[in-house]
Amino acid sequence: MDKKVAIVGFRMKSAPDLVTTRERLTFELTRGLFDDLGIDRTAVDTTIFSTNDFLDGRTISNVFLDGPAGAYMRDESKVEMDGINALMYAVIRILSGQYSTAMVVALGLTGSQVSPYLHVEYQLSPVYDRQMRLLNELSAAAFQARSYLARYGYSEKLLDEVAAQALSNAAANPNQARKIPGASAEQVASSSPYYEPLRELHCYPPTDGGCAMLLASAERAKELTDKPVWVLGMGQSIETFYLGERDLAKSPSTAQAAQRAYEMAGIRDPKAEIDLAEISALFAHQEPLLAEALGLLEEGKAEEAYRSGDTAISGKMPLNPSGGALGGHPISATGIIRTAEAVRQLRGEAGDNQVGKAEVAVVHGQDGPCAQQNAVLVLGI
Amino acid sequence: METSEATFITPVVPMDFTYNYRIGPYMTRYLEGFKERKILGSRCPACGRIAVPPRKYCGVCNKVMEEMVELPQEGTLENFTVGHVILEKGQLKAADAPYVLGLIRLDEKASLLLHRVEGVDPSRVEKGMKVKAVWKEDVEGDYGDLDHFEPA
Amino acid sequence: MRNVAIVGIGYTPVFVSKRRDVCIPEMISEAVENAFKDSGLTPADIDAVVFGNMQTFEGVNLPHLWSADYIASLGKPVMRIATGGTTGMSAFHAGYYHIASGLHDVVMVVTYEKQSEGDSQVGLMGIITPEIMAMLAAGIDVTGQKGMGAIGGGSAGGISYQASSYLHHSGAGIEHIDAIAAMERRNAAKNPYAHLKDPEATAEKIAQTPLISWPIRFGHVCPTSDGATVCILASEEKAAKLVDKAAWVWAVANCASDATTGNLIEGIITDPAEQMPAQIAARQAYERAGIEDPKKEIDYVEIYNGFAHQTLMFLERIGMCEVGEAHKLLEKGELEMSGRLPVNSSGGVVSTNAIGTSAMNRVTECALQILGRAGEHQVEKEVHKALAHGWGGLMQYVTITILADKPKKL
Ligand SMILES: [Zn+2]
Repeated sequence: MDKKVAIVGFRMKSAPDLVTTRERLTFELTRGLFDDLGIDRTAVDTTIFSTNDFLDGRTISNVFLDGPAGAYMRDESKVEMDGINALMYAVIRILSGQYSTAMVVALGLTGSQVSPYLHVEYQLSPVYDRQMRLLNELSAAAFQARSYLARYGYSEKLLDEVAAQALSNAAANPNQARKIPGASAEQVASSSPYYEPLRELHCYPPTDGGCAMLLASAERAKELTDKPVWVLGMGQSIETFYLGERDLAKSPSTAQAAQRAYEMAGIRDPKAEIDLAEISALFAHQEPLLAEALGLLEEGKAEEAYRSGDTAISGKMPLNPSGGALGGHPISATGIIRTAEAVRQLRGEAGDNQVGKAEVAVVHGQDGPCAQQNAVLVLGI
Repeated sequence: METSEATFITPVVPMDFTYNYRIGPYMTRYLEGFKERKILGSRCPACGRIAVPPRKYCGVCNKVMEEMVELPQEGTLENFTVGHVILEKGQLKAADAPYVLGLIRLDEKASLLLHRVEGVDPSRVEKGMKVKAVWKEDVEGDYGDLDHFEPA
Repeated sequence: MRNVAIVGIGYTPVFVSKRRDVCIPEMISEAVENAFKDSGLTPADIDAVVFGNMQTFEGVNLPHLWSADYIASLGKPVMRIATGGTTGMSAFHAGYYHIASGLHDVVMVVTYEKQSEGDSQVGLMGIITPEIMAMLAAGIDVTGQKGMGAIGGGSAGGISYQASSYLHHSGAGIEHIDAIAAMERRNAAKNPYAHLKDPEATAEKIAQTPLISWPIRFGHVCPTSDGATVCILASEEKAAKLVDKAAWVWAVANCASDATTGNLIEGIITDPAEQMPAQIAARQAYERAGIEDPKKEIDYVEIYNGFAHQTLMFLERIGMCEVGEAHKLLEKGELEMSGRLPVNSSGGVVSTNAIGTSAMNRVTECALQILGRAGEHQVEKEVHKALAHGWGGLMQYVTITILADKPKKL
């Protein structure tokens, strides 16, 4: 896709407990963004929310957010999925020609107000899995982790190394919720076991957080910012619901989504053309697994890639230089926070987490147990 | 106006709703099979794969699965995890003792069945182990009739 | 902007109180199968799927995940939309934009609700439960006047304020609510996909149903239904290859105000009958469709009416008649299937309410009227342009879709 739709600004926030309400967080993020851009709410043609009824404990969970977001008497809708999908809807709406700007507001308070594990618990079949009470988000992820390690004969140490890299990156990032300065593989390996091979520090932490992001057509983007970041490609796909029928060691739906996004962006050789990736890996094994599906790592070479430093901030293919979802997973907002982190990189504003020269980034978001559904964006400057 | 953490009111809203799910004809057949200590699946007319428990659609082929097939009671442990925690209403708690969950293949063409694996030391459980179904003494067509699997 | 056409519609065989015979994805798959039958398309023709429902009603989070294998979606982009009562039309709009954007050519929109499996009042109360708890915690009386406004989200309580305000400003009486409810139940009797049907319904009969909270009677209120609706949309180029006749989207629009209970603690409740979002969204839709005089140019209207007075109220708000005129049109028989401004010949939401489908069914019913395929509930006049209206949230969301019998000139 040509440079038709741009990200012109964002505000994000994340912590174990933000000591706030959904309404106040929405207001802070959107009003802050208006102030950053020197606009008011009338500059926003449509607002797309991404919140979750179960996690917010309320049907139509955005029902009280229209006012705080400045959408009073204006056009709005809600994508009840990871926020990256709300962003895709915003892009689609702008491409239709009906709108020239679109605000995305995504948030989840799963650090302070509700258990994040209920998110997947309620996704499971109520007529089977929830009756059997064997499957949950963590046990499912453990099967996926073992399946991935077994396919390539990796040792469980790989998980510790992946997590240590992510946690170190997160510690340097002011936007992250989980801060473990100097996190080492040994420290990860000695955290408490959940479901083998996964331990506490292989898994995302319960997190409060949110992100507001404004997108605009090419024409409007030029008026709103000197540093537009363009959405060059996007793709999404879903695979079967049934865990016992999925190839857990790979993520075919991520590969499909990436293929669509790359085709749209004209990317032929992702390893060579992409400068960094922000991947919604909720568990350590998902980062290399998804990076392979995204065509960024060679299959079977994950151990080498991590040990050689290729995946580090200073490496050839930095994966989650922000620290990724192991640093914070405010459900519904995670994918859009990854997007915001990629924007920081492409604008050269990522501070201690800044990779070298970055012109093209890939962003990933997921929904469902073991990433049943995946979305991929290609961003560029 | 700012609210300090100390004065932030945190009302608790327990969302314990009661739902009455209809399970449909396929899950009904599965549970009826339990009364005869049978494990049933449904076979896709296009790709021949068997879904356990049975269901209406093969999503890959977009085909309705009409044919019910009985699966063997013995299979192979394809994947497993040892749980050290339990999740209860979203709360993570330490388990009383480590326990084994396995993904079990009952037939070359069948989907993997998730179940507890008992009668084996969690530290010695291995992929590829042969396991067999263990039923409750009194089967009554309930989800719990097929109690667990154990080494064959 | 590209033209978008409706090329296939599929309903579950029935919309009823309780589908005890099937589980949720099995029920949804029936509507998907019927949409394929109706359009002659196959799963391979579908580029993307949009999915909508209100998930707390069934207690399944992101139910498109569980349903993925049943809706021909594997390997495709699937977007889940949820906006409350408007969900069905918000999902339809998302399908429309998927194609209008040029990114996809054929999109399937899947909506459903299986309300029998949960407690709908609990689902609705859940909208404001946190507020009630906070009010209790802060020592605010929730049983008094202000509290009733809040609790309105979950019962006919708040709606009675809307209805009484509407009556006051329009000059209509409760007998007109009885009469429109009776008309819609009679219409429903001619629609195989309607839930509450009564070919013999009269205003007098409705007037005998118990009063819940003046002026809302039991006979003015929608049922809770189980059902699914699927709509397949296509770009102009694709539609030309796929079908002989299609219903064309000329405009979509939506608007949100704040929740009517938003200012509750300050003691301010906006007039729930004002429905400014309906006025704004309708105006936008007319502009986008190039409609100058909706009264003359729109032949048929489907109104989202969870409660019977809303048919009359919203006709006025969207400019299909003057304020205070709707009940007069009703008296003259103009709103009947044989009338000059036929409305809700499907029976409306007041006769059938599987919530996720309800705003979608307004669109599909308009399409059936345009295509002349509404069978026994086909209106007498020719329908060239039709308007579908959706309503939801905590009384504050409105969606509008305008369809026509030929593509819009771009
Ligand atoms: Zn098949």
